[in-house]
Amino acid sequence: MVSPILLIAVPLGLAFITPLLGLARKGAPRYVPAVAMLFNLLVSVSLLPDALRAPIVVRTAGWAPPFSIHLVAGPLGLLLSSLIALIGLLVAVYGMDYIREGATTRYHVLSILILVGATGVVLTGDVFNLFVFFEILCISSYALVAYWGDSASVEAGAKYLIQGAIGSSFVLIGIGLLYGAFGALSMADIAANVSSVSSFRLFVSLAFLITGFGVEAAVFPLNAWLPDAHSSAPSSISAILSGIAIKAGIYAVARVVYTIYGAQSILPFVALLSVATLLIGEMCAFSQNDIKRLLAYSSIGQMGLIVFGLAMASATGVSAALFVVISHALAKALLFLASGYMILRTGSREVSSLNGMGTRMPLTSLCFTVGAFSLVGLPPFVGFASKFMIVRAALETADTFFVVLLAIALIGTVIEGAYFLRIVQGLYFKPAPQQAREETRKEPPLSALVPVGVLAALIVAVGLYPGLVERALGAAANDLLDRDSYVQNVMGD
Amino acid sequence: MRRLISLSLLLIVALGISLCFSGAYFGAEGANRAGKLAQDRVNFGQRYNSRGLEENGAGNIVASVVVNYRGFDTLGEVTVLFIAAVGLAVVLSTRREKPARVRAEPASLVVFTGCRFLFPLILLLGSYIFIHGHLTPGGGFQGGAVVASGFLLVYLGCRGKGLRSAGFTVTESLSGLAFVVLALVGLAVGGSLLLNFLPKGSALTLFSGGVIPIIYVAIGLKVGSELGSIIANLSGEAP
Repeated sequence: MVSPILLIAVPLGLAFITPLLGLARKGAPRYVPAVAMLFNLLVSVSLLPDALRAPIVVRTAGWAPPFSIHLVAGPLGLLLSSLIALIGLLVAVYGMDYIREGATTRYHVLSILILVGATGVVLTGDVFNLFVFFEILCISSYALVAYWGDSASVEAGAKYLIQGAIGSSFVLIGIGLLYGAFGALSMADIAANVSSVSSFRLFVSLAFLITGFGVEAAVFPLNAWLPDAHSSAPSSISAILSGIAIKAGIYAVARVVYTIYGAQSILPFVALLSVATLLIGEMCAFSQNDIKRLLAYSSIGQMGLIVFGLAMASATGVSAALFVVISHALAKALLFLASGYMILRTGSREVSSLNGMGTRMPLTSLCFTVGAFSLVGLPPFVGFASKFMIVRAALETADTFFVVLLAIALIGTVIEGAYFLRIVQGLYFKPAPQQAREETRKEPPLSALVPVGVLAALIVAVGLYPGLVERALGAAANDLLDRDSYVQNVMGD
Repeated sequence: MRRLISLSLLLIVALGISLCFSGAYFGAEGANRAGKLAQDRVNFGQRYNSRGLEENGAGNIVASVVVNYRGFDTLGEVTVLFIAAVGLAVVLSTRREKPARVRAEPASLVVFTGCRFLFPLILLLGSYIFIHGHLTPGGGFQGGAVVASGFLLVYLGCRGKGLRSAGFTVTESLSGLAFVVLALVGLAVGGSLLLNFLPKGSALTLFSGGVIPIIYVAIGLKVGSELGSIIANLSGEAP
């Protein structure tokens, strides 16, 4: 059996060597991210069956867990790392031809590292190590947001940098307080002793950690950076940021709240925040005319839905939230990748400039429509299955509070339907603008069509057979909720 | 409007805090086990102090912690610095509006000669610090920073001598790769990343500590070349 730590070490080594490859052969670096992610996808998927039986605890430097850093490759970690590798691979293939200008070698280095950071976040079992990988994820995304170098993207990058740095400082303070209270950094070690510290001290450190990770997770009111950052970045990076990076933030919040603190009492508050996030995201998306900003705001809305599912603290609720994580990652990556070439061909990010694209770029438009319908939650796409599971979970709690919040969340879905259907109507039933360029009749190259097509196929396939992921989802939800066995798995041997 | 928003935000935070305390879930058993914690905290430090030399052979226990016990964090931190250098280069090289080049005044003869004299000595001091990282205070990061200060001096004093960023790129890549490969050899030999697989040598001599000094040299070179490439990029000399 291969060690899960290779999921981090091998792409990291490849990222280090990429600048050297770039000096030797100018075209070589663009293939490296795809190689790294293909490796990660194969390893993650091959380890998943083992992890479903029992989490794989990996020690570093040869010492048993509390005395050195360890990874915990459980069902949740490997499910997410497979998702990261899958989206990363497709985006890497897309980026081969899409990224032609600027410092391309450095783009490819950073695009590997952003994925290494996300993989490290979901696999680590040590709270300071979590911070280190979180920084790798965040700092590479700050630079990539500013990649195009025009004043809008530099401004968005700076805004993201400032808010992200404040968030990271909060995380660091929270970890400092935790270390002060427990003298330990292993999550399992802290979780085992959590009841031995006064609730005030716990609350202060938890508040710092949730606020800090909440910035990256784009939970209201910490999400002011997101619309600018996600819309100014190259479309391939927008797909990673929306599809993966914010999920890493959510994962960190969930891991801290559930595993380390077992803090069920703050969940009603989190549920309120999540519904506020959802409504605000969807309403802002509704009023956008810029397609990428619209998609970015819609990501905020979907984050709200994910946090809502997590806040239910039931096995079905958490599974449903993880299912939305998957469905949103697939759909939003698809939408950003498809719209990337549409924007490139039309030269405009206005929603109205997409009018008539259904006949000009039929394949891209068809895939875009699949993604949009899935996000709205229309059957038979995966978005329907995941949203349905959220509804089922909320009704299963039989708690008036959650049922009322669910009703509000469903209003958000109606708004979502309104703006996505408006775009799809424009694609197929409105004439193209008079001055439409001739090149809008050209489909994107194969390196872009294949990832977009694969994502659309996955959305349909998982939508038709939710059973493909159901078992892994259940085990992953259990991984998050069952603190005792988490502690036992890590500290036991 | 703005006041309304800030008031509602305050309300949300207040609501959150009150909800958290009303639950009073935290620390259900109170502080009656606080004694155990103090013991735990001593345990980590004590264990590293009492067994670090025997387990890793490095006289400087901090080096054992940085490179071995928490070496995986160090690998991540080196990566963070790498990202900062690469990210800075991305932002500088793609910036559309280039600032107007200001012709730099050449430094005076005293400064110029002083720089040429000091530069090799600074490199020597930096290398000494990272090569002896496992024996004396200091190590890869500190030594690398000293090396980079030498390049900063070149930038300040010898304007004519442009810093070549290709050299930095090669050093940076190779030293980063060396760190990862050494870590992976540990995985291949003993089944654990960053395992200290080399003989520990006799304590407090230069050839002791197993892989720790080798990794520290790699870190020192990497940090030095990363900071150097940041200086080269900022000075505008880099292509």
